[in-house]
Amino acid sequence: MRAGGSRELEARNYLEKHRIMELLNYLTSTLLFFRPEKPREYLISILERLRIAKVTGVAFPFFMDHSNIVSMFEMMDTSHKGTISFVQYREGLKTLGLLDEDEVLQDDGHVITLEKFRSEVNKRTEKIWSAF
Amino acid sequence: MDATTAPHHIPPEMPQYGETYHVFELMQNMLEQLLIHQPKDPIPFMIKHLQQDNDNVPKIVILGPPASGKTTIAMWLCKHLSTNLLTMENLIAREFSSLAAVARDHYQNTKKLSSTLLVSLIQERLKEEDCVRRGWILDGIPETREQALMIQTLGITPRHVIVLSAPDTVLIERNLGKRIDPQTREIYHTTFDWPSESEIQNRLIVPEDISEMETARKLLEYHRNIIRILPAYPKILKVINADQPCVDVFYQALTYVQTSHRSNAPFTPRVLLCGPVGSGKSLQAALLAQKYGLVNVHCGQLLKEAVADESKLGKLIKPYFQKGMSVPDSIIMKVLSHRLSQQDSIQKGWVLHSFPRDLDQAHMLNSLGFQPNRVFFLNVPLDSVIERLTLRRIDPVTGERYHLMYKPPPTVEIQARLLQNPKDAEEQVKLKMELFYRSCSELEGLYAHAIALNADQDPYTVFEHIESGIVNPLPKKVP
Repeated sequence: MRAGGSRELEARNYLEKHRIMELLNYLTSTLLFFRPEKPREYLISILERLRIAKVTGVAFPFFMDHSNIVSMFEMMDTSHKGTISFVQYREGLKTLGLLDEDEVLQDDGHVITLEKFRSEVNKRTEKIWSAF
Repeated sequence: MDATTAPHHIPPEMPQYGETYHVFELMQNMLEQLLIHQPKDPIPFMIKHLQQDNDNVPKIVILGPPASGKTTIAMWLCKHLSTNLLTMENLIAREFSSLAAVARDHYQNTKKLSSTLLVSLIQERLKEEDCVRRGWILDGIPETREQALMIQTLGITPRHVIVLSAPDTVLIERNLGKRIDPQTREIYHTTFDWPSESEIQNRLIVPEDISEMETARKLLEYHRNIIRILPAYPKILKVINADQPCVDVFYQALTYVQTSHRSNAPFTPRVLLCGPVGSGKSLQAALLAQKYGLVNVHCGQLLKEAVADESKLGKLIKPYFQKGMSVPDSIIMKVLSHRLSQQDSIQKGWVLHSFPRDLDQAHMLNSLGFQPNRVFFLNVPLDSVIERLTLRRIDPVTGERYHLMYKPPPTVEIQARLLQNPKDAEEQVKLKMELFYRSCSELEGLYAHAIALNADQDPYTVFEHIESGIVNPLPKKVP
């Protein structure tokens, strides 16, 4: 579509607004992780749960729950100080797919504790899910 | 996770699952549909799309000059693939559509349809349940570039486009013999395709405007338009020569529409080369490893390396080598799985040869989780093998290897002192071939998707054949 400059822009905005790429990434990751016998039925069931969750306001089926966040934090915090450095925190968010490429995080000089990490992960995940 | 962070240990089950179930293509199709329709509520839309499960239904466009046999080919393909045929006539003739009624009036007056009307008719038809579920074939539409672009803007994209072509003189002559059966609308020909039943023969009528002048005029218009439609379908186009028997054209078209196009899915080749001794497996494996960066795994060599390293396994293998007996399967499996589960073979892919020898070994390979995703059988007749192997010689002084036919030694002096490897003696070679042929049929049964090649040609031809087998998606079996 050569003369579709505006249509391309429209399409990109659509992807951003509904966070389609994040949703597809999530679906592909769960699919490859659980490897069900019938991929289509499995995808349909996840999308159904998502749809119901959105309508009723019930908690979303997160990919990483509390224990995963704790173990990830402990993996990064090798010396068991109870805190991780800013660089680790930023890389961790990137690995989880919760950090946009252009986003710049503020380093406020304090080290990141488990609480802060967890609340940030939850906050970002919720922001993504609420766009669906 | 990008390539710059520490090497990630992705369990090999994941890419295997992705390949078997075509996860990448599934997601790609879903994304395409989302972008074309841009629904306000993406989630219900995606659920509906997944439930339809129509990623692989035929979506074909057949174009060609008049008298090229388009309609015949379209009808045959339709019957064979049990899908729906859309032509200008049957779009107008639809009963329950107000658009079609409007189009009918228009057509009666002017004998042509405006592009917008035609395209909206198509859009309406394609939304119907049977087209969604079983696919469609468009016969002779789009006629102009304008129509092609309009169809594309609506998001209707064919997966295969076939263009029939033949010289004009042939077409003009052919058109003079055209006859139509008014009941079934099938097209017959006085010379090439005469119906066998006499009752059909009797009711055939001569269609109007098949005179030479008319055909020439239509051909002119066709040529003017087609040249501008072709660039709209860059990668999915195939031109078939219509100047051959109908059946041949049909078979070419059928094979084409049943091939899937190369996708962008991430793919790590795990290649298995099977074939008798002397078929060129090691050579092909070396070429593949060099060009694609795969890990070349020669089973016999692995065992020898283990012995030379004097590892634990090597010490186990050594007595078998010394006695000249074949190493038991369990030890081979340990050595092989150790090599194949290393980081570089998982990441880059591997080429395995001189294994498995028989069905049991093949089953063990599968059970370890190292299923190859491309299997090649290199077929060579016994005589060629004998010729290739028994004429091998080695020069004991320089260590240079020669072949009395393909790479003869330069001087008589060298030829005088050449030695032959006792393993290359004719009886030995024949024995090994026997062994192979015994297990061959079982292996072919296990690897149903294997590709058989003629390895009796020069190495680079065989290599190109193997390459195309790896790079293209596996062909679907014709039902």
